[in-house]
Amino acid sequence: MSRFEAKKPSVCESEPLTCERVRATLGVLKGIVTSCYGPSGRLKQLHNGVGGHVRTTSQSSALLHSLAVTHPVLKLLTASMQNHVSCVSDCGLFMAILCCNLVENVQGVDVTPTTVIELNKLLVNLCTSYLKSEACGCRIPVDFSSTQILLGLVRSILISKPACMLTRMEVDHMSTLVLRAFLLTIPEKAKEHIILGRSIIVPLKGQRVMDSTVLPGMLIEMPEAQLMRVLPVKKSSALKVALFCVSLSGDFSDTGEGTLAVSDGVCLESAVLDQLLNLGRQLVRDHVDIVMCQKVIHPSLKQFLSTHHVVAIDRVGAARMEPLSKMTGTQPIGSLGSISPRSYGSVKDLCYAEFGSKHFFHLLPDEVTVSSLLLCNRNDTAWDELKLTCQKALHVLQLTIKEPFVLLGGGCTETHLAAYIRHKILNEPGSVLIRDDGRTQTELQLIAEAFCRALESLAGCLEHDGGDILTDMKYGHCWSVQSDSPPVANWPDLLSRCGCGLHSSQEQLSWSFLRNTHDPFVLQSCLPPEAGNSANNLTLDCYTAKLNGLQLAVETANLILDLAYVIEDKN
Amino acid sequence: MPLSSLRKFPTNRFFSAYWADRSIALSCRAFPSNGSVEEEGQPNQKGALAGIPVSSRPFRFRHRFASWRSGCYRSWQPEVIETGMAMPAVGSVKLALQVAEVLESIVSKCMGPEGQQVLCTKSTGEVLLSRDGGRLLEALHLEHPIARLLVACVSSHLKKTGDGAKTFIIFLCHLLRGLDATTDKETDALVSENTQAHGRHWKNCSRWKFVSQALVKFQTQILDYFMDQCLSRHFLSIFSSSTKEKTLCRNSIELLLEAYFCGRVGKNNHKFISQLMCDYLYKCMAYTSGIEEVFELVDDYFVELNIGVPGLPVSDSKIITGLVLHRDFSVYCPADGDVRIVIVTETIQPSFSESGSEFVLNSEAQFQESQFWIMERTKAIMKYLQNQNIKLLLSSVKQPDLVTYYADLNGISVVECLSAEEVSLIQRIGGLSPFVLPPICSQHEISNTALVNFCKPLIIKSKRYVHLGLISTCLFIPHCIVLCGPVHGLVEQHEDALRSAFKMLRQLFKDLDLSYMTQTINQNSTPSPLICNSRESELFEETGNDSIQRLCRDPVVKNKDELAIVETHLIYSNLEIPSVELETHIPCSTPQLIPVDTYQTDDTLRGLSQNKTRMHNREPLIPSKSTDRPTTQNTKIEMSYENVQVKKSVGMRNTLPLSCKSLESCNSSSISAGCVLPVGGNFEILLHYYLINYAKKCQQSEETAVSMIIANALLGIPKILYKYKKGKYSFPQIYVRSLYALQTNQPMVCTQTGLESVAGKYQLLTSVLQCLAKILTIDLVINIKRQPQKVYEQDSEDEL
Repeated sequence: MSRFEAKKPSVCESEPLTCERVRATLGVLKGIVTSCYGPSGRLKQLHNGVGGHVRTTSQSSALLHSLAVTHPVLKLLTASMQNHVSCVSDCGLFMAILCCNLVENVQGVDVTPTTVIELNKLLVNLCTSYLKSEACGCRIPVDFSSTQILLGLVRSILISKPACMLTRMEVDHMSTLVLRAFLLTIPEKAKEHIILGRSIIVPLKGQRVMDSTVLPGMLIEMPEAQLMRVLPVKKSSALKVALFCVSLSGDFSDTGEGTLAVSDGVCLESAVLDQLLNLGRQLVRDHVDIVMCQKVIHPSLKQFLSTHHVVAIDRVGAARMEPLSKMTGTQPIGSLGSISPRSYGSVKDLCYAEFGSKHFFHLLPDEVTVSSLLLCNRNDTAWDELKLTCQKALHVLQLTIKEPFVLLGGGCTETHLAAYIRHKILNEPGSVLIRDDGRTQTELQLIAEAFCRALESLAGCLEHDGGDILTDMKYGHCWSVQSDSPPVANWPDLLSRCGCGLHSSQEQLSWSFLRNTHDPFVLQSCLPPEAGNSANNLTLDCYTAKLNGLQLAVETANLILDLAYVIEDKN
Repeated sequence: MPLSSLRKFPTNRFFSAYWADRSIALSCRAFPSNGSVEEEGQPNQKGALAGIPVSSRPFRFRHRFASWRSGCYRSWQPEVIETGMAMPAVGSVKLALQVAEVLESIVSKCMGPEGQQVLCTKSTGEVLLSRDGGRLLEALHLEHPIARLLVACVSSHLKKTGDGAKTFIIFLCHLLRGLDATTDKETDALVSENTQAHGRHWKNCSRWKFVSQALVKFQTQILDYFMDQCLSRHFLSIFSSSTKEKTLCRNSIELLLEAYFCGRVGKNNHKFISQLMCDYLYKCMAYTSGIEEVFELVDDYFVELNIGVPGLPVSDSKIITGLVLHRDFSVYCPADGDVRIVIVTETIQPSFSESGSEFVLNSEAQFQESQFWIMERTKAIMKYLQNQNIKLLLSSVKQPDLVTYYADLNGISVVECLSAEEVSLIQRIGGLSPFVLPPICSQHEISNTALVNFCKPLIIKSKRYVHLGLISTCLFIPHCIVLCGPVHGLVEQHEDALRSAFKMLRQLFKDLDLSYMTQTINQNSTPSPLICNSRESELFEETGNDSIQRLCRDPVVKNKDELAIVETHLIYSNLEIPSVELETHIPCSTPQLIPVDTYQTDDTLRGLSQNKTRMHNREPLIPSKSTDRPTTQNTKIEMSYENVQVKKSVGMRNTLPLSCKSLESCNSSSISAGCVLPVGGNFEILLHYYLINYAKKCQQSEETAVSMIIANALLGIPKILYKYKKGKYSFPQIYVRSLYALQTNQPMVCTQTGLESVAGKYQLLTSVLQCLAKILTIDLVINIKRQPQKVYEQDSEDEL
């Protein structure tokens, strides 16, 4: 069909990266993301000019969700980052900064984009194969017999989100809680495929962070008055549970496509209510103790049930249906007629709990795979940030179960990788350039240098207070030093530990400023055997997330570098 | 077109405001980023952007489209004619050339293995990466009428073949340029005679009309002849043997796909994606034969057969065995072993009243009874399904809670809300039809069931899918592709590329009929006035200068030993100069090998040939007496080889069989299924070579001109492909070497590995020629107000 409103023609822009405007906007975005990076990152306040919610954050997911970018190239970058975060939760800023750095660093280099793209791919393959290899010097296998590493991982995530406004003690408390909440979701009886349960975050705003807690089982919030009315009977054995997915309110929605004529004097309401009460009688006959309904329970039925000492909980909501049915072993009932006895499930206990001003039913299952994390923080903004961080940490823990490794944090992985690439390119360029496809060694060295600089400046981004970043010439780790250090310094005294905390400055090392060029050196690649044990104070990063971030950053940078035109739809 | 002249167009204040906001802003960089300015192959860039210093920053100008409006196009609106504005001196060719040149400058950057990506934004703000010509042209939302005509032509071509949008534009642009160049010369001569602009315009129009007719004639008659008679001997086949059974050669499929994806997806990913597609193809094929069905099915249900996952690196893409439905289980009951499934398209629970009927409730008891009946009925059906050992219920509609509850009780998994496509895909693979509810739940066997090996949830990036190991009843073994990428735009690009690759393969595996008929048929019918018999045979003499055909014309040489000799020649050098022994039978084989220019004068030698009667048969209407004309013989001989595998070394890492014509196609010619040529402009150079030779022989000047223009325009494509190559691999070098090879009957030079479909190329050529013919016949674009955006085509002769 012909359209009546003429479409506006698109705007076509060639070679976007050569445009000053695009570079400038990329620079602005890079400025935003770099300043947020790391534990000492600066916070961003997001607010709407016409009022409403104000949000303080330094997390990529929150930041980019509300940031409206205009230029298509930036859209590409932010979309890529958001997809990354939605897949692996962590390392969003890492990915964005690396991508910006890669694009920026090759701007001055006199190599065609085609070559840059191909070499970038070779380099990232080099990195990933190193990170996946046994010989990797910045990867620690997770020891599940102790909680040290997992705790270190959670703590690193919490510390790196300054907008949560946590003190050192609160960080320790919260990381223990998050880890416990996660561990409760692992089923005790190990089968072939472990199906993890779920931990549900229950908001409790306005309390102290230290009041946060973890409970096994599920909490369902109830108004106090209702709670008082349905005091549960104490029973020694397990409680029988019926879970309804169909509405018990007596509504009568589905009558088919034809019409339904009701004769005069016929009262359908009473007919339906009769049916509901019959159902209630059956439930009582079957000795059900708790009746839960996704939707609404008719007040008369509720009344009927409570007079027979059956607890009725309604408006559970669709989101909680699946964990509830898993936890209690019920089949959600979709019938108002006869109920098969097989549909009933059970819980170990039902108690009444009070946290802050809120009242809850606490369902305690036989086998715990569901945990409730009661999260407290002082104000809404900090609570939002904390909730996001906890969700992120829980997801990261899940990923770590799948791939049981962690990477050294604090910039050490980045500098270590850069040192590895430099060494490899200088000493074994033949192993990198596999085929002779017209790429010269000079080109490889130029691009590898740009790539390493991009990685190293990531480590540099962790420093926001004017300090300097050094790297040692043995492990390739990252060390930070105060800005007012004397020019000729006694490094072992000034530095204490490296970024990740694995090495101390008293190990007879030599240092060099990261910004200075230094000769490639042979990496001491094997980790000290006590790495896993001393992980108590290590800064750690999620392996899966960082690997994914690295690959995506390079792929996105390659896409941006490969653009010949940008066609913008102006409709 | 120089910038200065663009600016010189008179601006009409009446329309300038109207057009100003609609003009396309194009900013073009002066020269390629690496600073190497090509000496040839880019006349457009040079011409268009002359005068801009190389080092200048990207120069943004709202140029050409705007200028056309201020210039030619606008003045062709009827109102303007009334106001007595001067007629433009140029016809539609100049106009079309300007449009095509802008489009060419965009698509040529994305062309070939060195092509770059284009980032498009949709009106929704989503970003999309693309190198697909069709998509780019659509994304531009062009307003210019000729541009829109072009886009329409390209998209209709794409619908047919799934390939060649960029080549389309480039080829068309070169054709227009060629046409424009010829007119420039002629109009110079005309100017002095006819200064009246108005008259000249119409004169031009009628001239273009003739050119257009000549083009159509060329496309319908001469081109097919070339395909059948000249080019066909260079064709290679994708099948591993030339037997009747079409068996795929994996190596050649890989080469074909790699070359295809080279121009479709980013440089880093094309190898990976083509490998993925190749794996997918082989996994889906039950046998090496019957591939067409697989292609058809994948092409039809591509959306259902792939899952896009943004946020993971491209290298995480994989192939999954079985079918993945983009839904989650409503009820999941784990089941071991083979699982029986049924499909329903209606709700199982009966409702109170059917559509169009009325249900009268007279009492509460009746209501309760009805509800009870509904419940019992639902229960009975589900019980019945369970008794029939059904473990999975697929539904295209949402089932009521009651149904899912009883399904759960009876251990039946349920998947609801399947799309119509998913349902029809399952039906097609599993060979089952929707289950119709029985009036009474008897113990009868349900016939409409299918089996699945497994049925389990699949979690990709925390999204749940249903994973079915459907047992196929057809030639397609179900597999799904999971495509990953950093952004959705890239995933979509890969999806598009894969989809059109299937479309391309589907085309490739079909025989393409040509309208050209070999002589036996033509003799009975009246030969066309354009191609008289004599010229054809003459042409054949000249182009078909290989000894085999000669040899076979001789009735003496019929025994198999002789044929075997020829065969060996074929194997070693494709079209080698015949051995002395063979030459004795063929007195006139030598002159065929001498250069074409001298051949024309060689009347005596031609007379020596056995079929001299036909040589002199220049009157088109006199049917030739002999029935075994050389051309027919030629094809027949080629056919007689079909049980002998003829191999040809193409200078690539594998050897491919020459495509042999099957016996059936001896009369009506066709491009047989699976015909391919090496990439890198081989097709274009070949056709160019034969066309140039033809043009030299041609009598009619108009035909010569058309052939020459087409021949030269064809070179534009390899020119762009070799743009960044240097030294030995630069275009002039390749061109000279190829021509030399053709003249001396050596195998063509081949610098790139990879293959492309001949049928696709042929279709592209015909589409371009048709499009050009269409453009040329338009003389007036009338902008109408009431019905927006409709362009009428007018015949210039009607106007006159």
